[in-house]
Amino acid sequence: MMNRFIIFSILIICGVSEIFAETCQKPEVIASAYVTEDATILTNVAFTTQFVLKCSNGVKGITLYAEVDGKSLPAARLSSDNKYQVSWTEDVKKARSGDYNIKLYDDERYAAIRKALRNGEDPNSVKPLVVVVLNNPGIYRGPWINSELLAVLLAALVSYSAFSSKFKLLA
Amino acid sequence: MKWHIIFAAFAAFLLMTYAEEEEAARLLVSKQLLNKYLVENMDIVIKYTVYNVGNAAALEVEITDNSFHPDHFTHVSGELNARIDRVPPYTNVSHIVVVRPRKFGYFNFTSAEVLYRHKEDAGSLQFAASSEPGEAIIVSFRDYDKQFSSHVIDWAAFAVMTLPSLAIPFALWYSSKSKYEKLLKPTRKH
Repeated sequence: MMNRFIIFSILIICGVSEIFAETCQKPEVIASAYVTEDATILTNVAFTTQFVLKCSNGVKGITLYAEVDGKSLPAARLSSDNKYQVSWTEDVKKARSGDYNIKLYDDERYAAIRKALRNGEDPNSVKPLVVVVLNNPGIYRGPWINSELLAVLLAALVSYSAFSSKFKLLA
Repeated sequence: MKWHIIFAAFAAFLLMTYAEEEEAARLLVSKQLLNKYLVENMDIVIKYTVYNVGNAAALEVEITDNSFHPDHFTHVSGELNARIDRVPPYTNVSHIVVVRPRKFGYFNFTSAEVLYRHKEDAGSLQFAASSEPGEAIIVSFRDYDKQFSSHVIDWAAFAVMTLPSLAIPFALWYSSKSKYEKLLKPTRKH
């Protein structure tokens, strides 16, 4: 099977300078991701990632927002403690391969981004809480050449060489 | 007569303003399968989209789908129970689950359940059901493979089978050709 779970190494960018009781300090993330690589029977490619957020100050149950390629998505909270899921779909033809950076923001940072957008400032100035990297190794859309076509081409090649050598001998 | 119409319009206007004043979230939930074919042991992508058509944010939106029994489906990625803390008004959010069917045949995809708080101070939770994708056929992997696989092995077998009828005459011809060329070469020298 081409599809498998991939465990990712995690980039941690933490710009923790303010001391707030509710902010997550030194965030650490353990993530697993899944991409539907075999897209022969799909109309959309699904990207899902699940992760557990750990904070050094033991903060739990915070609301997280994610941003991927300019799209903002909410992180859904899962049944177990501090586990989240971020998922989205893309059209099979438009899905690119490579790394996707999932930037996660908490309430405060997300508000700062929206404020920056309202005031026409650069939203990239707000540092994300954590960045999770999802790698899409490439999507399989089926064989690029039909085996029937290949067989026909081979047969044509063999018969052409046979006939041409025969006529050369007879001439 | 004219007064009636004006009165009705006025009443409608009043109703509308009253309805607008009542701030509450209203969710529409859709459940979609993003597949061209459903095949045994291959990914099925299920997308739950929550639209908030109300004028207030929906809080603690919890999506639960109990329609994928572990006997019939293996769970690949994404959880069947998820909670989104806040869905702002006039926006939509989505949640994705990937499963693989264990068996083939007809399967009725039923709706998922959504519980949410439609107001900040709402005492009880609001219940909503998603749309139903309905009954669909899950094709067995064998049938799917027969129709859509690249058949490389089949064609390779075909090539191997046709090889003797091509190679044997060619070998015979080639051996006789090289034999005659050997005979020809010394005569040319003279």
